Amino acid sequence: MDQDDVLTILKILMIGETNVGKSSILLRFIEDEFNDTMQNTVGMDYKSKKITIDGNTVKLAIWDTAGQERFRTLTPNYYRDGQGAILVYDVTDRSTFTKLEMWLNELYTYCNKTDIVKMVVGNKIDLPDRQVSTAEGLQFARRHQTLYIESSAKTADGIKCCFEELVQKIIQTPGLWDSYAYKPFYTANGVSGPRNRTGRRGLKLTDDYEPDNSYSSCYCNLI
Amino acid sequence: MDDILDEMTSAQDLKKFEREYNITLLNGNLDPKVQFQYAWCLVRSKYSSDIYKGILLLKNLLDTSSMERRDCMYYLAIGHARIKEYNKALEYINLFSTTEPGNTQIEHLESLIRNKLREKRDRNGSLIAIAGITSLISIFLMKK
Repeated sequence: MDQDDVLTILKILMIGETNVGKSSILLRFIEDEFNDTMQNTVGMDYKSKKITIDGNTVKLAIWDTAGQERFRTLTPNYYRDGQGAILVYDVTDRSTFTKLEMWLNELYTYCNKTDIVKMVVGNKIDLPDRQVSTAEGLQFARRHQTLYIESSAKTADGIKCCFEELVQKIIQTPGLWDSYAYKPFYTANGVSGPRNRTGRRGLKLTDDYEPDNSYSSCYCNLI
Repeated sequence: MDDILDEMTSAQDLKKFEREYNITLLNGNLDPKVQFQYAWCLVRSKYSSDIYKGILLLKNLLDTSSMERRDCMYYLAIGHARIKEYNKALEYINLFSTTEPGNTQIEHLESLIRNKLREKRDRNGSLIAIAGITSLISIFLMKK
């Protein structure tokens, strides 16, 4: 596999209650498809995709975990070394929103990277019977300092944006990914390239790095 | 790691779930859930002896327990594919598909396994061709 042009490999985790649409979000992102009869994930599923953000191509290694209770004891190992987590709830099912606290705790307990970037996703906004408002979702995200977006895997709303925002934020977080960089400072011909050379240090100094006000700007598109 | 078949269990997990399995086995109250967790680690081990053991435990669960059959079938397919028994793996995929047609996760696994099977056949095919050519050359040289 050609990985010469890849700046780094990022481990992303999809977590949340069963039936909130984690696998559907992933299917939409990877294949741009939607399956009306998507069944429960067995154990874990893994997908990878290259994505280019601000001129940097990164490979995403995405772990889709089963949300069912019986797999709960098997998942902690997957949290290790995760650089980004997508916490999904269903906007038409309040209990899945309430359970996000539990999923966040799980993440804090098992993930060894304290600065893992988190994105809260309110999915299924195409459905009419909404139970969790945008304001509530945003408030939750602010309280826990996570990014926030609302999405529909069915209509593709917010899906691409969700991953792009997450990756952008990870790249902007110094120390979170560079030690895992596949080829941090070399170009394909082995010479240190200007793009990569400024990549790590330059990003630390960019003006748009806002650690305290970190919810997704994509949200604006949805109201 | 390029696909789900390359994913491996951590030594820590294997040890943890092995201990739990052995404890319940010794106490004589083996829980299918514990057996599944241990088997789940075994079929994702890097050692084929572990994978064989995992396959036996999963088969046993599939035959005797009311545990979610889909979990057992899926990981039986993974286990067999990881020891390159692709046809066996496809049997479990077929079994899974009869109860749950159109499952994208299993369809993805199936295409992965079919690719591996094709690669294996191509490799074997070229080996046979090379062997054939070599023997033809040696016959030709012997006759000279």
